[in-house]
Amino acid sequence: MRRSKDRSIFIALCVAPAAILFFIFMVLPTLNVFRMSLFERGAYSPTETFVGLNNFKVLFQDAKFIASMQNTILLIVTVTLITFFFAILFAAILTREKIKGQNFFRVIFYIPNILSVVVIAGIFSAIYKPENGMLNSILSFISGRDVMILWKDQQMVIISIIIAMVWQAIGYYMVMYMASMSAVPADLYESASLDGAGRIAQFFQITLPLIWTNIRTTLTFFIISTINMAFLFVKAMVAKGMADVGLSFMYAQKDAGLYGYSMAAGVVIFLFSFLLSAMVNKVTKRDVLEM
Amino acid sequence: MKKILSMILASVMVLSLLAACGSKPQDPPAQDNPPKQEDNTPANDDKTPDAEPSEPEATGSITVAALASGYEEAYPGMWQEVCDAFTAQTGIAVNLICDKSLEDVIGPSMQGGEFPDVIHLATGREKGLTEQFIKDRNIADLNDVLSMTVPGESAKVSDKIVGGFTDTSVTNPYDDGHTYLAPMFYSPCGLFYNAGIFEEKGWSVPATWDEMWELADKAAAEDIALFTYPTTGYFDAFLYALMYSVGGPDFYNKALRYEEGIWDTPEAKQCFDIIAKLASYTNPVTPAQANDQDFTQNQQLVLDNKALFMPNGTWIVGEMAEAPRADGFKWGMTALPAAKAGGNGASYCWMEQAWIPAGAPNMDAAKQFVAFLYSDAACAIFAKGGAIQPVIGVAEGMEGDNKMFYSIYDNGADAAMGSFAAYNAVAGLGTVREVFLDPVNGLVNGSITEEQWIADVKAASDQMRANIMG
Repeated sequence: MRRSKDRSIFIALCVAPAAILFFIFMVLPTLNVFRMSLFERGAYSPTETFVGLNNFKVLFQDAKFIASMQNTILLIVTVTLITFFFAILFAAILTREKIKGQNFFRVIFYIPNILSVVVIAGIFSAIYKPENGMLNSILSFISGRDVMILWKDQQMVIISIIIAMVWQAIGYYMVMYMASMSAVPADLYESASLDGAGRIAQFFQITLPLIWTNIRTTLTFFIISTINMAFLFVKAMVAKGMADVGLSFMYAQKDAGLYGYSMAAGVVIFLFSFLLSAMVNKVTKRDVLEM
Repeated sequence: MKKILSMILASVMVLSLLAACGSKPQDPPAQDNPPKQEDNTPANDDKTPDAEPSEPEATGSITVAALASGYEEAYPGMWQEVCDAFTAQTGIAVNLICDKSLEDVIGPSMQGGEFPDVIHLATGREKGLTEQFIKDRNIADLNDVLSMTVPGESAKVSDKIVGGFTDTSVTNPYDDGHTYLAPMFYSPCGLFYNAGIFEEKGWSVPATWDEMWELADKAAAEDIALFTYPTTGYFDAFLYALMYSVGGPDFYNKALRYEEGIWDTPEAKQCFDIIAKLASYTNPVTPAQANDQDFTQNQQLVLDNKALFMPNGTWIVGEMAEAPRADGFKWGMTALPAAKAGGNGASYCWMEQAWIPAGAPNMDAAKQFVAFLYSDAACAIFAKGGAIQPVIGVAEGMEGDNKMFYSIYDNGADAAMGSFAAYNAVAGLGTVREVFLDPVNGLVNGSITEEQWIADVKAASDQMRANIMG
């Protein structure tokens, strides 16, 4: 009896610092965001007025907010689909096939992930440059005429951001899947091939089900991080107002002196990402297979 | 043994974490980034004997936050030198925070309630920090500074400042006769071009918009677009000057206060039409590069003779100093053309401001510092960086490109000053830039029409008028 009491005190003491810090630096600020969304104030002004749910009422009629959330959703869906498709494909090729310079490719694909967004914006600024840009030059060379696509102009801007985001994310997720794919025992593949399963059948019947838990987890990570990354990319790469996403709307409101309103946008985005992750978790739920 | 060691290490970690967040220091916030100051002032170490913040002197110390703009780049250490001169004159120590993105450096501690004593940061920046202080009425009244004597001199501040500079809406945002923001560096804005190509082709710089459109056709024959702009933000000075030259001071002042029906007048229509027409003559790659990452590529279009004119300010010469350029390139600057033959062109006078937050801890010393900014000593230091203050006699010592730029008003252009009136922020209502200027990108790439733009301006303008301050 005494022993177990000591034990729980010890555990409580061990957990306390982390729990207290987490509470002070995560839970309290988050609650404060919710509180502030009910007030209106400037970011630097000490006075605030209570406005109830008015911020939210205006927010859902604000065409700019709706447009920016549409952009956010568009980016989440397309970037996730494309990134996961290629990440899984490349991981399967690099682990299952004998390819010269596997490690080389692994490093090459991974590099974009360690670059800061500012550097990526610089790289893509050179790639997307209308005159003598890398992409337009290549397209001109292939098509044999002068191609002049304005990648960062209104018509193409979302596609440009999608390309940059996919390029940045693929490597990281590819390495994640390579790790879990190499843990799949080789004898499973051997016996499958004895039963006459081809490479594609092996992939869908063995590889994919066995790394499914991994995919599920990374999918949730990815969706949450995309909300953030989309903001960083849009902020660093394109003109204000051309492809605003949820978080850029939030910051713009703060800069316009509407701190409470921007917090309301923050709350909506917070709940949105929370719900989205929960939904994805629910939809992708499968029976866990043991290796 | 090992266990004890790891316990100690862990507790040190936890303690240091707590210590880091626990003690909000009494030290001035400038302490947080000394490296910046050090590399700005390699030679000034001996001049600041009382920079020891832990032991405040009887004379006290103030914190000054100044934007490190192109001027600071042209003459590194400019602000530090001014602060040192102030310390030498008054004995008040100065902690200088000087940064390119000043908002990010001082913003967080200000949200926590710690304000610098003096801030030099203009309105019209993307983060709109100064505008937020104006909207919150969070700025100290500077009227008594104007009647103060400049430290170390016998003249009053108001006698040194050129007339007219302390009664525009840029310095008196509430239109109540009180000056809240001290007028600092000013520079004429206008259209910048390559004077070399005009000589080479025998073109003359258009004096009216009709001549401008004729020139556009001539240039198009040579495969040169008439116009480009770095980002839509550069249209603020352009729009102000355009409204002034088209409608004169009366229309201009009414428009700045969003007067009812002002956007339905023929003058307003002419302004909108000119911008829309200009958009159709704009180099089509412009909007794709009109972002913070690529705007220098738009400026490069002028250097490469791919566009004739761009709206800009005098800092452009320093900003593009290293850029490659066409043979025979020579900077030229002109005011906006006149609305009709025989009329005057106009140039917007862009002005930076210094101000004191209402929450400044050392108000009196801060006011002395602002007064000192107009001393001959300070003006001379600022002038070394090419920063020109509206102080009597300063503009006479200029040379080179600057002389040409600042003589724009002597050559018959009207000076437009002031800015759109401050209004209480309302959820859902955009900023002036979002409503008036950002749509220009859309006009160029065709994603909105002129009518839509005007309709949006009118709708937003009604709301702005209803929430106007002062």
